[in-house]
Amino acid sequence: MSEGEQQVKLVSSDNVEILTERKIAERSMLIKNMIEDLGAPGEEAIPIMNVSEAVLRKVLEWCAHHKNDPTPTQDDDADSRKKTTDIEDWDQKFMQVDQEMLFEIILAANYMDIKALLDVGCKTVANMIKSKSPEEIRKTFNIQNDFTPEEEEQIRRENEWAEDR
Amino acid sequence: MSKAAAPANPPPPMPTSREDINGTWRFLEWGVEQIMSHLDSGVDLRTYMSLYTSIHNFCTAQKAVGQTNLTSNHRGAHLLGEELYHRLNEYLKRHLQGVHAEMVKHSDEALLTYYIQQWKRYTTAGSYNNHLFRYLNRHWVKREMDEGKKDVFDIYTLHLVRWKEDMFGSTQNAVMDAVLRLVEKQRNGETIEQSKVKEVVLSFVALGIDEADSTKTNLEVYRQYFERPYIEATQQYYKNESSTFLAENSVVDYMKKAERRLDEEKERVPLFLLAEIMQPLMKCCEAALIADHAVLMRDEFQILLDNDREEDMARMYKLLARIPEGLDPLRNRFENHVRRAGLLSVEKVADQGESLDPKAFVDALLEVHTQYATLVQSAFTGESEFVRSLDNACREYINRNKVCAKNSARSPQMLAKHADNVLKRSTKATEEDDMEKMLNQVMTVFKYLEDKDVFQKFYSQTLAKRLVHGTSASPDAETSMISKLKDASGFEYTNKLQRMFQDIQTSKDLNSAYDDWLGQVLDKEDKKGGIDANYQILGTGFWPLQPPTTTFTPPPSIVKTYERFQNFYTQKHGGRKLTWLWHLCKGEIRANYAKLNKVPYTFQVSTYQMAILLMFNDSDNVSYDDMLAITGLQKETLDPSLGIMLKAKVITASPEGATPQSGTSYNLNYGFRNKKLKVNLNMAIKSEQKQEVEDTQKTIEEDRKMLMQSAIVRIMKSRKTMKHQLLVGETVTQVKSRFSPKIPDIKKCIDILIEKEYLERLDNDELGYLA
Repeated sequence: MSEGEQQVKLVSSDNVEILTERKIAERSMLIKNMIEDLGAPGEEAIPIMNVSEAVLRKVLEWCAHHKNDPTPTQDDDADSRKKTTDIEDWDQKFMQVDQEMLFEIILAANYMDIKALLDVGCKTVANMIKSKSPEEIRKTFNIQNDFTPEEEEQIRRENEWAEDR
Repeated sequence: MSKAAAPANPPPPMPTSREDINGTWRFLEWGVEQIMSHLDSGVDLRTYMSLYTSIHNFCTAQKAVGQTNLTSNHRGAHLLGEELYHRLNEYLKRHLQGVHAEMVKHSDEALLTYYIQQWKRYTTAGSYNNHLFRYLNRHWVKREMDEGKKDVFDIYTLHLVRWKEDMFGSTQNAVMDAVLRLVEKQRNGETIEQSKVKEVVLSFVALGIDEADSTKTNLEVYRQYFERPYIEATQQYYKNESSTFLAENSVVDYMKKAERRLDEEKERVPLFLLAEIMQPLMKCCEAALIADHAVLMRDEFQILLDNDREEDMARMYKLLARIPEGLDPLRNRFENHVRRAGLLSVEKVADQGESLDPKAFVDALLEVHTQYATLVQSAFTGESEFVRSLDNACREYINRNKVCAKNSARSPQMLAKHADNVLKRSTKATEEDDMEKMLNQVMTVFKYLEDKDVFQKFYSQTLAKRLVHGTSASPDAETSMISKLKDASGFEYTNKLQRMFQDIQTSKDLNSAYDDWLGQVLDKEDKKGGIDANYQILGTGFWPLQPPTTTFTPPPSIVKTYERFQNFYTQKHGGRKLTWLWHLCKGEIRANYAKLNKVPYTFQVSTYQMAILLMFNDSDNVSYDDMLAITGLQKETLDPSLGIMLKAKVITASPEGATPQSGTSYNLNYGFRNKKLKVNLNMAIKSEQKQEVEDTQKTIEEDRKMLMQSAIVRIMKSRKTMKHQLLVGETVTQVKSRFSPKIPDIKKCIDILIEKEYLERLDNDELGYLA
């Protein structure tokens, strides 16, 4: 059995054990570095302290699909992927979840250090904002407008350059 | 929290409040301390994840959102973590103080061991911490660095920076001393732990943090603190060693040692040094081991040359080749030595004077050349500069030696004579390979001749003789030699030689055509009374032959025969004039009056002798005056021709012993006796030979004048006007390939050309060309 096919046990914040391939788990830099430092954990479960079972399963589903992607190097994350909001089809379908789950995935990706998943999550949110007026955005994310009219006017003036006309 | 915390030290609780910096740090400091000082007892999964998580939680605390304000210097959201970074920094400082206090208690090898052990422990912990603080690296540190902060580093680099500032500065001197002592031990033949040096090198390299981009490393620290002292120590070591060694040992032994030392130093590099050090290290070793003692080595060179110490010379060459301009003095000495050896070799054979054997002379020249050409290949790797030195030396001793001290033409003349002996048919058959080898040897010497025109003159004379007298050993060898000369000196140089060779071939065809013609024209009677004859037609101007110096009336018995040929030839080639070179002709006469075992003798004679002997067909006694009158020969030719026959007792003088003069008469000797049936009476006359050499000398002088004059005219024709001095120089370059001209001779030629109105004198020492 190659290193990648070894099984590792993860424990969610709500104490549910999930068995997965080491290769899948190592999409998370946190887990990858930890294994590098401490060695393969064997039977011992790795506590993923900030992620609940439902979210962890979802994240691992993504990792399984992307387990053979090349690991991006530190340098090339800067340009191409960041600048477009294009998302490949599978990821788009994957992200068709309710808003709460979407944000949980983003937080988990950030915590577990899965850069590509974090990017997909953020792009999904960006696409939800794109071409919407402030009022529509507030509605989408259920945000209360706590600006005074003066504050709102000031912000509009400051950001006039960004408007699309 | 005490520094001496035991591994069993119970962890403080994981912080419950995300914003609590003190609580968070208390937990983190415990964890970092575990990793720094007790990594060997292991870190469990839960601790690892807790540490990571508490950093994550602190950095993502809700208050971060609340602190967003418009006056912040940052673009966008405020990122938390600065406090953690600074506390870690402070922690590392404190930690290293402790290590440093321990470090200074050690010295020498113990210090090295401790330094390396601490370095390894510290950097391993650093890379753990780098992973644990990855969230901080990814966000707060990245932001600070993006903003251009030069004093914020990723967590691993922070560890290195602290080591460099709090540890390295005050310990590197002692560490380096220990390293150098260790290396010195190895040079002295002790076994050392090379890995220690290697570890130190790698740690110095790791500390070379690039100021412009802290994620990269450069070799600055290594160069300054390792390479420089290492090279200084190396130089000092070899300086001391070489002078001590040389005080007690020979230069030859020293060279062996130096060679070994250079190899050792080279081998040492891949073992525990960086490849980058090779060049400066070798340079310093070469300076200390070779350049500093180059004078001494060069002085030894003469001794090695004198004793043929090939291996040692090769070693010296290899050593001195490594330093700039190391070999020039060697080449000069080599050149002088070869020249002296050549002169000495010639001097040994020169005592034979006029009777000097050409082969002995050429062998004397070749012997030295061969010996040192071999040495250049074996000891000096055939290096082109040494080949040039060899060539210079050979040119000197071949053209200016004792044999040609009085007459500079002697060298080319002797070489041509030697070539003649090689190419002449001789009693012992020469193998084809040997022939080729000997011809190549001739060419070897030829290459160095300055007066190639002299060689050409003598060579063409001897070739003419070989061809006319049919004494050439093999036409193939002749052709081979001519083509070698052509390769060396060009078409023009061998043009005449080639034509001479062709004439002989054409003559062969002509003779068979003539024989066919005779067969058709002659009746039986004519054939019976005819004389078997062979003719050679030699083109005037190509052959170095002069018309006969004496008048001559050919004997009637051959007149018919040669006139018939003359008719045939003029029919075939109208408008050509044939001049008979009687002095080169020869024939055979059968003496029916004198027999050996009933077989008549045959005399091989010159045409002149033939004319004399044929007179005895009419009378047994012929007077000297009749001979002069009938043969038409002049006294200078008649007398020596008679002399040979008198000596061989074919004829006798009357009165006995009388000198050839009016009043003397000659009788045919019926009682002639000889051991051989064929008697050769046609021998070259001494005075003629001498005359020939003198004539050749004269023609050489004439030819040289012509060559120089035509060169001058050629140059002036293209330049129109030219300074006198420049013209002289240019002329020298043009004729150099044939002979080395003397400046006064060139000036004389210019004067002749002015007289003949080819050139005119202008102002400013200029000359002008007159069309």
